Amino acid sequence: MLHQIIDVLKSSPAAAWEVTETITEGWEFYFIHHALDQNRVKNLEQYTVKVYHRSEDGQFLGSAAGEIPPTAEEAEIRRLVDQLLLAASLVKNPAYTLRGPEGPAARPAAAASIDLGEVSGAFLSALKQVPETADADLNSVEVFVSALRKHFVNSEGVDVVSEYPSSMVEAVVNARKGGHEIELYRMYTSGACGADQLRQDLAQVLSFGLARLDAVPTPALEKADVVFSTDAAREIYLWYADRMNAAYRYMKYSDWETGRPVAEAAEGADRVTLTAVPFLPNSSRNFAFDAEGAPIRETVMIRDNVAEAFLGARQYSAYLSLPASFQPSNLKVAGGAAEAAALRTGDFLEPVEFSDFQVNPLTGDIAGEIRLAFWHHGDEVTPVTGGSVTGNMKEFARTLCFSREVRQYDWLEIPAVTRLRGVTIAGAE
Amino acid sequence: MKAPFSPYLSEIAPGLKQLVTLLRRRYDYVSVLSTDSRGFAVSISQKAKSVRNETMTTERGTVVRVCRDGLYSEASFNLFDPGHPEETCRRLINRLEQQMKVLQAAGVQPYETGILPDEPRQVFAEMETGRLPETEDMAALIAHLSALSDRAMAEGQHLLDCTARAQSTHICKLFLTENQDLRQSYVYSEGTLAAVGALDGRTEMAYEGVSGRQGPELFDTMGDQLLKETLKSLDELLHAESVEPGEYDVITAPDVTGLIAHEAFGHGVEMDMFVKHRALGADYIGRRVGSDRVTMHEGAACAESVTAYAFDDEGIPAGDVVEIDRGILKTGICDALSALRLGIAPTGNGKRENFAHKVYTRMTNTLFDSGTDTLEAMIASIDRGYLLKGMHSGMEDPKHWGIQCIVEKGYEIRDGKLTGKVVAPVVLTGYVPDLLGSVSMVSGDREVFGNGGCGKGHKEWVKVADGGPYLKAKARLG
Repeated sequence: MLHQIIDVLKSSPAAAWEVTETITEGWEFYFIHHALDQNRVKNLEQYTVKVYHRSEDGQFLGSAAGEIPPTAEEAEIRRLVDQLLLAASLVKNPAYTLRGPEGPAARPAAAASIDLGEVSGAFLSALKQVPETADADLNSVEVFVSALRKHFVNSEGVDVVSEYPSSMVEAVVNARKGGHEIELYRMYTSGACGADQLRQDLAQVLSFGLARLDAVPTPALEKADVVFSTDAAREIYLWYADRMNAAYRYMKYSDWETGRPVAEAAEGADRVTLTAVPFLPNSSRNFAFDAEGAPIRETVMIRDNVAEAFLGARQYSAYLSLPASFQPSNLKVAGGAAEAAALRTGDFLEPVEFSDFQVNPLTGDIAGEIRLAFWHHGDEVTPVTGGSVTGNMKEFARTLCFSREVRQYDWLEIPAVTRLRGVTIAGAE
Repeated sequence: MKAPFSPYLSEIAPGLKQLVTLLRRRYDYVSVLSTDSRGFAVSISQKAKSVRNETMTTERGTVVRVCRDGLYSEASFNLFDPGHPEETCRRLINRLEQQMKVLQAAGVQPYETGILPDEPRQVFAEMETGRLPETEDMAALIAHLSALSDRAMAEGQHLLDCTARAQSTHICKLFLTENQDLRQSYVYSEGTLAAVGALDGRTEMAYEGVSGRQGPELFDTMGDQLLKETLKSLDELLHAESVEPGEYDVITAPDVTGLIAHEAFGHGVEMDMFVKHRALGADYIGRRVGSDRVTMHEGAACAESVTAYAFDDEGIPAGDVVEIDRGILKTGICDALSALRLGIAPTGNGKRENFAHKVYTRMTNTLFDSGTDTLEAMIASIDRGYLLKGMHSGMEDPKHWGIQCIVEKGYEIRDGKLTGKVVAPVVLTGYVPDLLGSVSMVSGDREVFGNGGCGKGHKEWVKVADGGPYLKAKARLG
């Protein structure tokens, strides 16, 4: 099918073209407690095509993209490509050059073949070892295991293949006491099965569930320091990554500039160093090339709070004259000056469960309803629930502190503990 | 005109029927859902323009559901040769058997379920549309969207860019069992205008949208009013102040009302959650969850929105369920498999993200009923509070009935009048029965909104619509 599509594209009047073949083999398991609700298999072949049209004066390069069904015969492929070409001729984007072949990309240390049965078995085994009790257990779990093969070819000579595993576990935990039951939710993604991390994290969630049963309404603190030590912290650092995206910069949604500080750090605050890396252990994004066939190289995006390299899609990278740019897959944020324990001093609120913690990449606004937090006040630690945290990252970035210790969440390695100062807290009392 | 059913699905239907017959020799129940949905998405701004022949619901593929010895299993695939269904049958059985070996080695036991009913039924629904996405004049559409973006830049202040988006999808689905042959075809469309502006180091985005079970003719309605509302909203956001956290009297505009409907008693009464004992709603059927003024409907048949289908992804006809009647929780919504497990009738709410995903109980149109109050009277009744407008996102907690709604902005009300002061963003949180129990006034109008999508947890994205009238209630804002 891939060759058939390429033949049609080569014989078309397209100024340039790209095609991506994605082969997915997936297994899925759905459990209610430990009983199998449903099992699923999926076998998919997907073809995504992008065609380009160059205006006669060379000023514009338009493109149009879409999927071609694997069941399409040659006549249908030609019809779909012709439709895309017509659409591309109507799209007036400033001209830019497409990516040609580059040197060899990095390879994972051990690119093992992916055995869905083996990975699935590891997940099933790990879930059996979660330390459930009569008071706290797994309500339901969904396990998704996939092997993906992506083959990208373009008219400029790029022809690259990435093969990688991708897994996801959704777990709902219940905790109960005296007829009252609550639930907590987690979604984990990884390459293959990270059994130890999964067991450890679910054990911690079970303990959070028990703590939530004893939680009292969050007091009206108005302003407080907030310590993040769970997956919600990812959103804080993704705000930095989003603002270093080439498209954001080109659109002027990010006003950060190369060589300039992204925030004026106050005395005692940590400075962010953000690096794009090709591989992280058991990441679900361990592929050597991005979606446009660009090799993924280790690249410092922000160093000590100073913007160093915007990265992103070819179109916007070309507009910004960033020839070495690519779309990052895995990201690392370097640890800070203090140990985690040192960031847990004085009064602070430590939310460990939000309904949905968000950082708006455009405005920097943060928001999240607190499902469980620990209010550290003097020598007392009180589990609290309800209310919300709000504020803006542009303010918090000046006084941000984070731990020396780091922790990996799938494709993102970040400081294990992050402290934001002066966050607005709406209480639930 | 009628939206024509997919020739591709018509062509493979005989082969799929043979596949059902072949699989029935081994399995107690077999159904097939095959899809062929085409469409486009156009995005035009000053800085970037793009066209794709896909939307969040375009797809072509097949999912087979089988049941054996009380266990339901599914196989999704997008290669099918209608001339050789026996090959597909053999492959599917082999793949599912491989999986069963791993499950047996792990000692996994099934959640035993009965066999889904299969009453003889035939449906052929080709719904009305003005135009079709596959024959839309793209040059005219791109010119229209470009003109909107250009006008916004000329008429707005502090703008960085303005993006005009249009997407239209022609949905075609074929559902087959041994005794059923259901076919539906309809078109839905969505358009949005999103303006981004910056002022004094602050960047904000405002957007307004239109949607409906209509063809691309919907985009003809994207004009002056949408432009004015978007630019006004952006200006308000750029000058907005922070809200002082606390509990207030609030009026929710129809879009925020819809968000509350969706988060409060949308997710909270999805009855696959009842099967897992994940929803407090199961214990509250027949009990009060809101004030007398709260009545809420759910169902694909409730409104001609982006999710107004003829049958769901399990072949169940579109429904119209009264979830809350004058404050009393009456029932929830349910997919077919969960209904079988609960011993109730399904409501036509079994939806998949696409053919490659599992069915869950999902919302369609979730709507508060209208009342008799006027917005003016509602504003006049408030000493200190906010009129909340514009929805960003929401999250529910069906087990604990917590609710989080991130609202775009609030218009301050003092002494019964709007002061002109705007606060943004606003995080509305609370306990659902408290929030709905505090509803004291309901306006006589109603709007339905269908832009965007809904996830289950943090995945499984589907189209939904929600809405209602203006509501006056008490809420905690932060």
